[in-house]
Amino acid sequence: MAPTGSSSPAPRAELDSVWIVIPLFNEAEVIAGVVHDIKTQFKNVVCVDDGSSDESAVLAKTAGAIVLQHPMNLGQGAALQTGFDYVVSRPEATHVVTFDADGQHRLRDAVEMAELALTKRISVIYGSRFLDKRTKPGLKKRIVLKVAALMTRVFTGLRLTDAHNGLRVLSREALGKVRLEQNGMSHASEIVHQLAKSRLSWREHPVEVLYTEYSKKKGQSLLNSINILIDLIVR
Amino acid sequence: MLSQWILVGAFVFVGFYLLKARRSSNQQAIRRLFIVLALIGGLLAALFPEYTNVLAGLVGVGRGADLLLYAVVVFGLFYAVYQYRRQLWQEKVNTDLARALTLTQAKLDQALGDRDEA
Repeated sequence: MAPTGSSSPAPRAELDSVWIVIPLFNEAEVIAGVVHDIKTQFKNVVCVDDGSSDESAVLAKTAGAIVLQHPMNLGQGAALQTGFDYVVSRPEATHVVTFDADGQHRLRDAVEMAELALTKRISVIYGSRFLDKRTKPGLKKRIVLKVAALMTRVFTGLRLTDAHNGLRVLSREALGKVRLEQNGMSHASEIVHQLAKSRLSWREHPVEVLYTEYSKKKGQSLLNSINILIDLIVR
Repeated sequence: MLSQWILVGAFVFVGFYLLKARRSSNQQAIRRLFIVLALIGGLLAALFPEYTNVLAGLVGVGRGADLLLYAVVVFGLFYAVYQYRRQLWQEKVNTDLARALTLTQAKLDQALGDRDEA
């Protein structure tokens, strides 16, 4: 599909085999801008609308994304897995980039990570906000994320600095190793768990997370890490 | 005391069930057996309440009423755990179904889009 806005540069051809997957749930305020922005670099954007009650799906479609719609709200993990299944069904797809709908990720980081995966042939690249000084999370947020990273390290042996970052790149091979069964927020740990078991090549890449007033409303609480822990043990 | 060993064993079993149980016909048979036993036990306790005291004495619990209370707690807990696992399974089925529907719809949209363009 041709970009509609005359000011938009064409997506970059070398990124054509990369698919952006965005789990989408009631983000009407921001989703059009996020998709529009991504479309300047990536041709393939798929939003998985997880039963939004607002106009998110229509807005994403108008902005140029392919929109898959869950018939009801299942959770972010379920939405990601649906997106993964869809991308795998596209024979030309080589990589997937998971990207949050709320505008907290930077497109530049996603492009860098995709290029890295394509040129260096790394199967999995995890975004981390703790590898440089750009991101300024509050103290509470920092504690929550560090606890999550520590838990991930204990469970998987993977030395991640940021376990719950929504920006990641997975190769097609890596997608074959992932089967998310945690529908809720515990999928972030689950995905690392499954990929760690696969022993595919991986690295972390520094990314900036933008804490806007909008994205702050949707953050996770410290108590929720208990939920995540239990979800991972009881399956 | 014998009753303590039985209780500890029962709680360990419930914990194990929470973590490890998989759906299988053996599991279902065991659950059904438990229910039948509970029914028979309840019936006997209602008909011959004095024997609950005797049984309580045998396993080292003071009174028959205490024995029944322990049994109720263990069965109640087991039931809660069983329902929790069942709900997890049900959620998975729902998810698989919803996902299949979503992906089918996407394929359909794509096919229709391709046809319109042609």
